Amino acid sequence: MAEPVLVVKNLTKIYRSRRGDIVAVDNVSFRVYKNEVVGLLGPNGAGKTTIIKSICTILRPTAGEIWVDGADAIRNPRAALEKVAAVLEGNRNVYWRLTVKDNLEFFAGLQGQSLRSVRSYIDELIEMFNLKEKVHEQARALSRGMQQKLAVACALVKRTPILLLDEPTLGLDVETSYELRWILKRMAERGERTILLSSHDMNVVQDICERVIIINHGRIVVDDKIENLKRLFTASAYRFEIEGHFNQTQEQKLKEQFDLIKISRDSSRTVIEAELLDGQKVYEIIDVLKENGCRLESVGKQYPDLEEIFLRIVKGEKR
Amino acid sequence: MRHLYLLKAMMKKNFLIIWRYPFNLTAGIISIMMIFLVIFYGAQWLGGGSPNFGNTLEGIVMGFMLWMFIIFAFSDLTWDFINEAQQGTLEQLYMSPLGFGWVSVSYILSFLVINLTLTLGLFMLMMAVTGKWLHLDFFSLIPLMLLTVWGVYGFGFAMGGLALVFKQVQAVFQIFQFVWVALVIAASALETFPWAKFLPVTWGVHLIGRVLIGGQSLYSMPWTDIAFLAAVSGTYFGLGYLIFKRLEGIARDRGLLGHY
Repeated sequence: MAEPVLVVKNLTKIYRSRRGDIVAVDNVSFRVYKNEVVGLLGPNGAGKTTIIKSICTILRPTAGEIWVDGADAIRNPRAALEKVAAVLEGNRNVYWRLTVKDNLEFFAGLQGQSLRSVRSYIDELIEMFNLKEKVHEQARALSRGMQQKLAVACALVKRTPILLLDEPTLGLDVETSYELRWILKRMAERGERTILLSSHDMNVVQDICERVIIINHGRIVVDDKIENLKRLFTASAYRFEIEGHFNQTQEQKLKEQFDLIKISRDSSRTVIEAELLDGQKVYEIIDVLKENGCRLESVGKQYPDLEEIFLRIVKGEKR
Repeated sequence: MRHLYLLKAMMKKNFLIIWRYPFNLTAGIISIMMIFLVIFYGAQWLGGGSPNFGNTLEGIVMGFMLWMFIIFAFSDLTWDFINEAQQGTLEQLYMSPLGFGWVSVSYILSFLVINLTLTLGLFMLMMAVTGKWLHLDFFSLIPLMLLTVWGVYGFGFAMGGLALVFKQVQAVFQIFQFVWVALVIAASALETFPWAKFLPVTWGVHLIGRVLIGGQSLYSMPWTDIAFLAAVSGTYFGLGYLIFKRLEGIARDRGLLGHY
């Protein structure tokens, strides 16, 4: 694998207040490799934004190290900022009274780039983000989706090798979300940037990212390739369809013996979803169902999507 | 060179934003002129006047112009930090690899050009309306105005830092408007209270008075007078910047840069 361009080592952030300390990030370590697209997932308050803000130096961590393409982001933030750009709160990252072009030119200048050196790239971004017709419109007159696309373009115009995106598709309509996703995916496929992306939208992460880091209560719960996670969960997730319904006692008995994910019913059948790390348990469930007089309609492996995997991990059902 | 590109980008952005709020700009100019005329004609009606320039009508024209320039300078960083935090762009400014210090200085320089143009334009208008023409030696006036306002930017930085941490600083801000009035007036009492020249802006206002009312040129002034102004302003600027850096560190620790 290529060399890591982002190294986060034992990162800890504690917010101190009179009411007590709040540990937002607790000893987090991970690496992101060149041209990788990594998703940072976690429930609200898990510490995703704290990690992203620490990497882009606007938040000072309590302990730990952050290396951005060889630059020490804590001791030498300016060197790190040569290598990283971020979109932090979607459409709130641009100047509403400036036009699309003015915004792009300003953010290029903020990075210390001359207008001459960046002009053709600005045109390329306008084309790529489908903003050509709106190039002379003030950002306040754009739709939320366009503002968000502009915010991402303003981060890209800095031409840093690493891009951090905090909830880039939040509040977007389906069409714009797909469009932004497609742009990011294309960039990832071309190997143009290394991207660390936090999102609540599992479809976005599943679609764009190769690897996912799941954070819960400030700690990393999982750091693995999405494919591996899917394989792992597919290998252990089973679905049993039973004709009719069974009673409370039978249900209780099953729950006590096995690691069940869900029991659902419709008018004529019951569906049991179970997490069975040991394949032998499949036969044991069938035996229990047989003993209770249940008629099995089908047994099969379940193919969970990232959202289900995420929920199971966060709920502590899987490690 | 990269610093110049940032400065250029900042100037363009700030000019465009001011230009795109025409009502704000026009209303500001009209209200300043109205306040000035009330003060000027009120003083004339009361019949005030003494050889001391602080109490003369010429002194009022000059004092008001300088107070306006000082207020503009003082408020720039504070309001802009607040505005940028509200817009969500402050964190982006902070992420410039050229440093937030240079971003702030670029901010100051771009607004300095705007403020100086606006102040001198309004000053001409005030003189034309009141018929009180002062000695307009721009080669002496502008360097002295810039040196005087240098110290004010220290206070602007300190207030900007307070705004980053505490957000609601409008009350302190209002109080300072009166403090600046007192300091401008204090320049006329330097003979009685010589220690007052160590206060921010008073010595600068005194020297500007010598140009505008006394007709003296910068080049005929003892260099020690100008060096003293530079030292006082530089000290206040340095102190203000240190306070700002300390408060900025607190804002970074607490993650307050993007909040309002």
